[in-house]
Amino acid sequence: MARESLLIATIVELADNLVDDFDVIDVLTVLSHRCVDAIDVDAVGIMLASPGGELQFIASSSDSMRVLELFQIQVDEGPCVDCFRDGKAIVNYDLADSYDRWPVFGPRAVAHGFHSVHSLPMRLRGRTIGALNLFRAKLGLLDAEDVALAQGLADVATIAILQHRTSLDAKTLNDQLSYALNSRIIIEQAKGMVSQATNTDMDHAFGRLRLHARNHNLGLTEVANMVVSHALVATDLDASPTPRTK
Amino acid sequence: MCSVAAEITELSGAGIVLGSAGRAMTTFCTSNDTARSLMDIETMVGEGPTVDACASEGAVDEVNLARTHSARWLAYTPLAISAGAVAVFSFPVRIGAVRLGALSLFRSEPGTLSDTQFSDAYLMSSVIGRAILSFQAGAAPGTLTAELEREATFDFSVHQAAGMVAVQGSMSVGDALVALRSHAFAIGSSLSALAIAVVVRDVHFDPVSATWRATRPSES
Repeated sequence: MARESLLIATIVELADNLVDDFDVIDVLTVLSHRCVDAIDVDAVGIMLASPGGELQFIASSSDSMRVLELFQIQVDEGPCVDCFRDGKAIVNYDLADSYDRWPVFGPRAVAHGFHSVHSLPMRLRGRTIGALNLFRAKLGLLDAEDVALAQGLADVATIAILQHRTSLDAKTLNDQLSYALNSRIIIEQAKGMVSQATNTDMDHAFGRLRLHARNHNLGLTEVANMVVSHALVATDLDASPTPRTK
Repeated sequence: MCSVAAEITELSGAGIVLGSAGRAMTTFCTSNDTARSLMDIETMVGEGPTVDACASEGAVDEVNLARTHSARWLAYTPLAISAGAVAVFSFPVRIGAVRLGALSLFRSEPGTLSDTQFSDAYLMSSVIGRAILSFQAGAAPGTLTAELEREATFDFSVHQAAGMVAVQGSMSVGDALVALRSHAFAIGSSLSALAIAVVVRDVHFDPVSATWRATRPSES
């Protein structure tokens, strides 16, 4: 698909998702996937600041352990931490030159086959709430247009997390951040249950949760909550897409 | 822990309760007599900010109890005012889908919290979540602070492992978290190291013998 039409399709899809009661993790996961499609990168993830000011992983284009590890490390160090702290974008950072700056993150990212990393701040009204993280395996640079597009998607992610709240007082902001971060934890707990019950890996377990949510018009977090609270048996989750009856 | 919460947020007092929606609330600790009375009032009348926060997605606050005398918490409000609280703030304490209780703070003057106070209170509630877990897992007295510093945040393998152990042992995710924490103490391992061993299926919980076992014989 041409880049322009891909972009329009992405915007329409996100607008369609940002209706009442949308699931924040689901929207951010879709956004990460579209980022990989629209910009020439290989993995995308989103880190969000907790009320304590520490970055936590919230969504990515892949739930494989190899990608998740790179977000886990960034609780302590990495491009997202620097981008969040300074409120400034980090673009086209060559990972081969990053070992001094990020002694743990750099070598791991290289070991996973990535060549460059990019991190864009998620900002709203002067406040940085997290960072969008892009990984590229190929050589070569992202151009200004790519960066502008990625920043646009980072802004959409910010809006999704803060859910069109007009007031951004400390209570509302912290409630929204805590809610999003806690949703991610519920999903991780449910992934563990599904993975164990169906004897599959975490990536597959996440896929089952998402598929079931889509098939039944439920939120991803809602389905995860049902699994954790035993309202839905992990092995009863849909394993294949079914046509919507509505 | 309550004194620390009250001190950090610069408020008159704090209380921590254990409980979740539909379960009886029990007071875990309080920073002073007023805080203790406020927690007792909520337990007695069964309503108030802490009760609401235990079941809530976000913080519950009332910046001036005197102003809303008729609107909210009919039984709680007059009793809380006579106990010495004018503004009350309560924050849910949870780890994912596991609801552990709530942290409540009060002040003898009306008014909302500053941005910093709000952030600090949210931060405290997540620290308290991990502290409650360690306490339930039988942490030795005096080791809690070092323990909380060492594992400032749970990485997601901890949450995934809790889900896996819940299925292995036919228990709730909350109990699985306590079981993991307690086993990590027993073998002198960090919680995340044990969690990773569970996620990569090196270790599992055997429900028949109620013990932890190496999954792969070569690594036992």
